[in-house]
Amino acid sequence: MSPVRTVETAGRPLPEHAYPALAEAVAAMAARHPEWLFPMLPQGIPAPPAVPAIDLAAAPGTVGEPAAPVPSGSTVLAGDVAVRVADVVVPGRPGVVSVVADLGPRTVHALLGLRAPGAETFPLPDADEAPVGLLDLDDGLGVLSDALGDAQYCLALLGAVAGQQGDVERVRRAWMSDESTAIAFDDRIALAVYGRLPAEPAPHPGLEMYLALDEVGFNHVAAPIARWRRGGWDLGVVRDYEPGAAGGWALALTSLRDLYASDGPPERAGADFGPEARRLGTMAARMHLGLDQAYGRRPGDVVAWVGAVERSVQRVAPELLADAEVADLLAALRSMSVPCPAIRTHGDFHLGRVERTDLGWFVFDFSPGGTPVFGAGTVPPGMHAGAEGAGPVYRSPLADVADMLWSFRHVADTAAAERDPSGRLGLSALARAWESRNRRAFLSGYLATPGIRGLVPPATGLARNLAAAFELERTAAKLALHA
Amino acid sequence: MSSTAEPSLLRSPGVPAPAVTPTPVGVPLPPAEDDPGWFQRAVFYEVFVRGFFDSDDDGIGDLRGLVAKLDYLQWLGVDCLWLLPFYPSPMRDGGYDIADYRSVHRDYGTVDDLRDLLVEAHRRGIRVIADLVINHTSDTHPWFEESRQSRDNPKADWYVWNDDDQRWPEARVVFVDTERSNWAWDPNREQYYWHRFYSHQPDLNYDNPEVVEAMLGVVRYWLDLGLDGFRLDAVPFLYQRDGTSGENLPETHAFIRRLRGVIDDEYPGRILLAEANGWPADVADYFGDGDECHLCFHFPLMPRLFMAVRREQRYPITEILAQTPDAPEGAQWAIFLRNHDELTLEMVSEEERDYLFAEYAKDPRMKRHMGIGRRLAPLLDRDRRLTELLYSLLLSLPGSPVVYYGDEVQMGDNLYLGDRDSVRTPMQWTPDRNGGFSRADFAQLYLPPLMDPVYGFAAVNVEAQQRNPSSFLHWLRRMLHLRRQFPVFGTGAFEVVPCSNPSVLAYVRTSREPEGTSMLCVHNLSRFGQPADLYLGPWTARQPVELVGRVPFPLVGNDPYPVTLAPYGFWWFELTEPAPLLADGPPAIQPDGAAP
Repeated sequence: MSPVRTVETAGRPLPEHAYPALAEAVAAMAARHPEWLFPMLPQGIPAPPAVPAIDLAAAPGTVGEPAAPVPSGSTVLAGDVAVRVADVVVPGRPGVVSVVADLGPRTVHALLGLRAPGAETFPLPDADEAPVGLLDLDDGLGVLSDALGDAQYCLALLGAVAGQQGDVERVRRAWMSDESTAIAFDDRIALAVYGRLPAEPAPHPGLEMYLALDEVGFNHVAAPIARWRRGGWDLGVVRDYEPGAAGGWALALTSLRDLYASDGPPERAGADFGPEARRLGTMAARMHLGLDQAYGRRPGDVVAWVGAVERSVQRVAPELLADAEVADLLAALRSMSVPCPAIRTHGDFHLGRVERTDLGWFVFDFSPGGTPVFGAGTVPPGMHAGAEGAGPVYRSPLADVADMLWSFRHVADTAAAERDPSGRLGLSALARAWESRNRRAFLSGYLATPGIRGLVPPATGLARNLAAAFELERTAAKLALHA
Repeated sequence: MSSTAEPSLLRSPGVPAPAVTPTPVGVPLPPAEDDPGWFQRAVFYEVFVRGFFDSDDDGIGDLRGLVAKLDYLQWLGVDCLWLLPFYPSPMRDGGYDIADYRSVHRDYGTVDDLRDLLVEAHRRGIRVIADLVINHTSDTHPWFEESRQSRDNPKADWYVWNDDDQRWPEARVVFVDTERSNWAWDPNREQYYWHRFYSHQPDLNYDNPEVVEAMLGVVRYWLDLGLDGFRLDAVPFLYQRDGTSGENLPETHAFIRRLRGVIDDEYPGRILLAEANGWPADVADYFGDGDECHLCFHFPLMPRLFMAVRREQRYPITEILAQTPDAPEGAQWAIFLRNHDELTLEMVSEEERDYLFAEYAKDPRMKRHMGIGRRLAPLLDRDRRLTELLYSLLLSLPGSPVVYYGDEVQMGDNLYLGDRDSVRTPMQWTPDRNGGFSRADFAQLYLPPLMDPVYGFAAVNVEAQQRNPSSFLHWLRRMLHLRRQFPVFGTGAFEVVPCSNPSVLAYVRTSREPEGTSMLCVHNLSRFGQPADLYLGPWTARQPVELVGRVPFPLVGNDPYPVTLAPYGFWWFELTEPAPLLADGPPAIQPDGAAP
């Protein structure tokens, strides 16, 4: 494993008199990046009403598909933009300028291509190549456009961040998600650029976790090549790219479509997902062992976790707490006296965050501090109130497990609704059978992984109970998001 | 063709002529030494002589019967026949218990009949290889009869004898359900003899140079007669050494190299095909450095093809191929869907075996040893699209395909017959008496032909399918003839094309010659229609031309190449250079986003 290169691009700041023009450009860019502003906070710029809610838990649509365009009428004005810093990443014409700016309460990162007026462009498919502004500097007038929409700027950026361009022949947009926009080079490596940044310079917690896992030899992640930093912010990462990967969500749907069409028990249906769920469980356990190795463990406080579960359920569905089974479950956990270690966890581990490659399962988009999309006011599942600012979050690895189990249920229901919107076919029994089979398979793969027993309660029953409690919390958080 | 046709105008400009002139079917073969790589491009056809065609009305198929059906095999378009053992034998193991290495079982005819078969096959452009069991003989072989007489007769050391039955405990018992030990007691000689398979099959002693010479003599005998090579049965077990499993020993490889040396020196162009059931990386040892076997069977691929289509995902196939080393230059893998044995599941995990049993052996009678005793058509519920899909994989994946007799008409099996006989019933030629296999009385037949409503000879037979141009038989024939036009399917490099749809398996076979062709093969492993975006980066600006109809498809651009596939559908495309008409001018399509 070759060491990951870290590149700082704080060297060549642009003069402040360029800021008004840059603010204009960033405002124009905002129209092409609805994810910069979603979901909107109560005050500040009004959220465009037509942007569909991004279902983070399901997430299949957020990876690999371009975000929905913002309708006209939701224009961001230059006056809403405050440029924080602006650097020349690639000097000259064509060159690339990186701008960190505040859009109301949000901090965003825009990459602007700079070219001589009349110079040739190389727009990527589906990219909006229209200029977003003009920049008049000492070295003459330049036309600004979205750097990630044009092959020549992307290549120059790759050169600046990864150190070399090589002989790249094909440049393509690999994905646009709520967090990052990625460009693929020869379908071999990808440059992912973060669009949203924390208000104050801080490392990207998901990127740090990804690099830490790679460092300890966890190989279910795409190999990182270079980390792009600027003044304490993480701006992006260059990594291997596997274009043939199938999302976990899509693979589960393949299985479910066959099951719903064949009417048999899931283990007899052709496209049985069980072996994949089992492998996924093994990968999850390896991920947790890697996180334990990278960050160490702390004693977990089961009573506090149960309290947090109770509080979040209380907020959205208090009647659930009256259910005898739920009450028994929580009481049993409270009286549990065995130690239960806490480690750093993925934070948002579900079928939309894993992909099956021809080599095996991969995991991506770590959210160890909670997901921005949940918004500053909400408490993401497993991230208890007060966690923010109190250092890294440690929790039971079973919280990740619970997220995945929850996601099995979600995908089974989604596929049933897709095939039978009216509910007349009675697919729910099959959905439950599929869910239960794949839960068991996932858990057996997880718990059979050598070493994992040190991270979860020793008795399988206790482990299942704790996972069930976290799953309850996940459901509550989901309900809260939709409330 | 009408004289008014104007091919120069009508021809689509994007479609260059095929790079290779097809070998016309039915032209007598060039001598094997002039075409040493023939087996890398060949389609093999496995013939069970006993069940193929009965020429003398005794209820048993024979060599003259096979000669009578050579025209059919030539019409079908196979390149090489593989004959199951035809030697004299007590037939306690389907003829794999040989009682005389230099003769033909009287049921099948004579050595002269075999010579005729070779002449007639070669005249039709078809080569012939045969099974040869070199590890052991029948206990009725005169060599063993002599060896067991005493401890000091001339053949006393031709077999492996020992005073006790404790030696080589590390060697596993292969047939665990019938044999308890690898040693068997001979009361006459009052010693134990070594046998890795059945106790009536004593192992020859290859540490004895006379045995080595005798076996090389056997090989020369048949090659002199005109045979094009051998399938070597059970090769890993030839030697025994203390403290080892007695499998894949260096001495065994040394013997195979010696055998190969004889072939290269005296019979160039003839081949050795190894049967060694194991992981591809281990089996590949039998290629040596290109100085052992020409072909090795790829056993683990076959169950994974079935698993992939049931699971509707490509990973079982891509994972096993990723573990498969390239055959060395001048060598080749042999791949198959079904053969004369059960569908063996030794090379899959226990979990996968349970799954395959559940999917393909719903009736416990279908299980045989460590596998499933069914033919291809019943395994697939006679689904025509699925069968075509699997043949498309067989004919386009790296390796020489082996087709099992009867599978070309989707023949069925008889689960009520013991052991492997379920898949060895008589070939179904016509809807007439005994399926046209024999004019003997029904009760005389070596096994009853199928007579059930779905697979019986009244419903499934060669005559009916030959008359119907849309039959599976005609489809397979067209594919075999198509494949023959493009040697790249035999010898090309193999590369999986990235595609994010898990149900779609796409790959490119690329000629290793500089000016050679590239073939893109796309398969939908799902029973539902599927879209697929193929990452064809290195082939940007090529034009895919669909092979069956020579229909040009849109150029490959910078974006992933979209294709749609019908349920179990597949495409074979030739990736041709851009249209010559546009070559001088500016490119017709500027791929978007191409790097400046």
